[in-house]
Amino acid sequence: MAASFAALVLLLVLTIFLRRSQRLLITAGFSLAGLASFLAAGAGFLTVAQGMTFRIVVPLGLPDLPFHLRLDVLSGYFLMIIGLLALFVSIYSIGYVRGFLGVRPVTSLVVFSTFFLAGMFLVVLADDALFFMIAWELMAGASYYLVMFEDERLENRRASFLYLLVAHVGAIAILLSFGILAGLTTGFQGFEGYTFDAMREAKHPQALATAAFLLAFFGFSAKAGVIPLHIWLPEAHPVAPSNVSALMSGVMLKTAIYGMMRVIFDLIGVFPWWWGALVLVFGLISAVLGVLYALLQHDLKKLLAYSSVENIGIILISMGLSMIFASFGLTVLSALAMIAALYHTLNHAMFKGLLFMGAGTVLHATHERSMEKMGGLIKFMPWTSALFLVGCLSIAALPPFNGFVSEWLTYQAFLLSPALTNPLLNLLVPLGAALLALTSALAAALFVKAYGVTFLGHRRSRHPAVIHEAPWSMRIAMSLAALACLALGIFPTYLIHWMDPITKFLVGDTISSSAAGFGWMWLTPIAHDRASYSAPVVFVVILAVVAITYLLLHSRAGTIRRGPLWGCGFEGITSRMQYTAMSFSMPLRRIFGFLFSIKEKVHHLPPTTHSAFPGRLQYHLRVRDRAWIWVYQPISDASFWISRRIGRMQHGRIQVYLIYSFVTIIVLLIFSR
Amino acid sequence: MKHWLETYSIIDFISVGILLTAVTLNAFKSIESYVKAYTINSWLLAGLIAVVGVLVNESHLYMAAVLTVLTKGVLIPIIIWRIIRRMRVAHEVTPYISNTLSLAISGILVAVVYASLQGGIFVTGFSRDALQISIAVILISLFIMITRKKALTMVMGLLFMENGLFLAGFSLTFGMPTIIELGVLFDMLMGVIILGIFAVQIKRVFASADLDKLTVLKG
Repeated sequence: MAASFAALVLLLVLTIFLRRSQRLLITAGFSLAGLASFLAAGAGFLTVAQGMTFRIVVPLGLPDLPFHLRLDVLSGYFLMIIGLLALFVSIYSIGYVRGFLGVRPVTSLVVFSTFFLAGMFLVVLADDALFFMIAWELMAGASYYLVMFEDERLENRRASFLYLLVAHVGAIAILLSFGILAGLTTGFQGFEGYTFDAMREAKHPQALATAAFLLAFFGFSAKAGVIPLHIWLPEAHPVAPSNVSALMSGVMLKTAIYGMMRVIFDLIGVFPWWWGALVLVFGLISAVLGVLYALLQHDLKKLLAYSSVENIGIILISMGLSMIFASFGLTVLSALAMIAALYHTLNHAMFKGLLFMGAGTVLHATHERSMEKMGGLIKFMPWTSALFLVGCLSIAALPPFNGFVSEWLTYQAFLLSPALTNPLLNLLVPLGAALLALTSALAAALFVKAYGVTFLGHRRSRHPAVIHEAPWSMRIAMSLAALACLALGIFPTYLIHWMDPITKFLVGDTISSSAAGFGWMWLTPIAHDRASYSAPVVFVVILAVVAITYLLLHSRAGTIRRGPLWGCGFEGITSRMQYTAMSFSMPLRRIFGFLFSIKEKVHHLPPTTHSAFPGRLQYHLRVRDRAWIWVYQPISDASFWISRRIGRMQHGRIQVYLIYSFVTIIVLLIFSR
Repeated sequence: MKHWLETYSIIDFISVGILLTAVTLNAFKSIESYVKAYTINSWLLAGLIAVVGVLVNESHLYMAAVLTVLTKGVLIPIIIWRIIRRMRVAHEVTPYISNTLSLAISGILVAVVYASLQGGIFVTGFSRDALQISIAVILISLFIMITRKKALTMVMGLLFMENGLFLAGFSLTFGMPTIIELGVLFDMLMGVIILGIFAVQIKRVFASADLDKLTVLKG
């Protein structure tokens, strides 16, 4: 771990010397970042495997408030996730950032990526509130500059401001939450309670613990992008450079999940069932609305950003279930749901990282963000298309890839919930399962759209430029991520066995004894007669079916013939008559339209040639988040109104300002005897 | 000597002297008189510290007195003289209100302070009058800052206010720890130098040292 930070520091020093030679800077910089990430991932992996805990107290920071660092199984797990994806993304960046050469200096990108990585590592390592907040802000600040990287566009500046604003509102809530927890340790008398150890030991009275939980949940939700705090996400992710959006979406959101787990399960520890229900409900809202919003997007990266909202929702669903089970003392079920949450966290990091890298590759090649101008890219970028397809299959939760395993585990947790005795929960949980099923189906539709419109068919752009396949480093990075997706999908039993110490630490029980009860091939979460899944068998069967189909089709020459598209006799078929991203999602827009604010406009242009021919149509569609109109617009209007009112007190005259304090003093003198 | 100081209540005499030098600001028309008044005020303050030092036999108070004389009584006036000469401004202080009204308001301020601090919540100090006088000095100098236009009169008001604050702190605690007094004096010195630079710059940029012109900076 120390070596990892040494590499990061070395990298920062290096940037100072290499500012002149940008090409070398990119290669050396991101190689070192990759090395650091690799070391971090290794450290995290070993920590979890051996269930160890390391502590260091660093005598830095404010006097009498040294920094505490601790590497336990939970932080080790997240360290592994961050390190693994950061490793892939660093390899990817070597190729991707070269695209900026000659366009703009990339020194700031390298420097702030380094800070960003260091911030994320430190967040999971921090063991006191002070250091946690410092690392948290380091992460937020660095990522702000990364979003701002292409700062000449108004859109980027706006997005990064929004991001910073939400991040800070969240950070304030987290700080207050830590304040309450720290205050409880000393009875609001001193500062000694700022370490997480002291918070663990303290007794938590119900009311104050609830306040701390609500604040922490709010604060971390702002970072994780839980609806309705998600608005910064679809703004910031698309405008950031793609390697950064891969990191932000893949792992930065996960630090918020880490924070929730740390505060709820580790620091507070004991909680009533309705906390879990609250988390579950917000998870459901995020999952369903996230995927619906994603379906209506036609900007590839915006679509992926909304899909992150959905996946964070799924993670929260599992976490909420785990909390509910834990509060009823059903530790095995709680461990199952927790495994589902943790597993999905890892999975989402992998496939969302892969997808953002793929989207970045497409962007890199076409310089287009709108899907309406893509299409047919599979012919130009076979590698990228295949790897992107792996990502799509994973995120749509199709076996044998990893998304299926974690979502299947979540369903298992849902299906085992009749063990609960609370009637309200018995009502809520089946509803949740149904909504999760809806989400999964919509997610599958979403990625059919994303893949189909982007890579299949013909190109829609009117001025098709020459498109090249991505350079080797980008392909290697994406292949590695795709391999990780496949491996995580095929060997879940190993993973679950490896994750044992984490559930032991968080909820006090494990599921591996039953989960792997039938050998490494079969995953049987609770009991084999209830449910079992053998990923390797499924994989082999799928492989066999695909191989047989391929052989059957290609064994004889002449089975496959390529010919022009039959247009029912219509001659003038152009590439613009394909299904577009907008038209693909039209049925869903009709059904779920009430959830959005939709503005449709159709212009009938006069016929250009002869009135016998049909006139031309122009179709405008604007879909906006309801959250924006209902929640944020009033807040922003109100703050502007108040600012204007207060602004009237500002005259710019020193004397007037002095009069304010003068009058205050006199009034205090007279009335405060 | 101690007996003699107590019999003639020298402390109160000096305190009243400090108050009077502050009140005279309302009547002066030129910035040079302000500096003179400030010098006298500072020497009186240093004298007060020395007298209290004799009364309570605290040797570190002598040091504080000497430091006060050196910085507030000598160094700061010299710096201000130099700034005045550098700025070559018209030497009137140009108040917003007439001197008579200004004097009257100062009187009211002193009365308000005396009336409101009568309850005597502070009983620790060496003289209750000193506390009331110090608050009055603070308010009067704040009032001066409000009613004068020139940047330099602001600085003078600030310096008077600091003397008042020093007196207030001193009257309650028999002198703060030497390190704090040193820190405050050093702060003051730096403050005057920086404010002096600002005043010169304001004069150069706006071709006037009137703070009215600063309203154009408002966004």
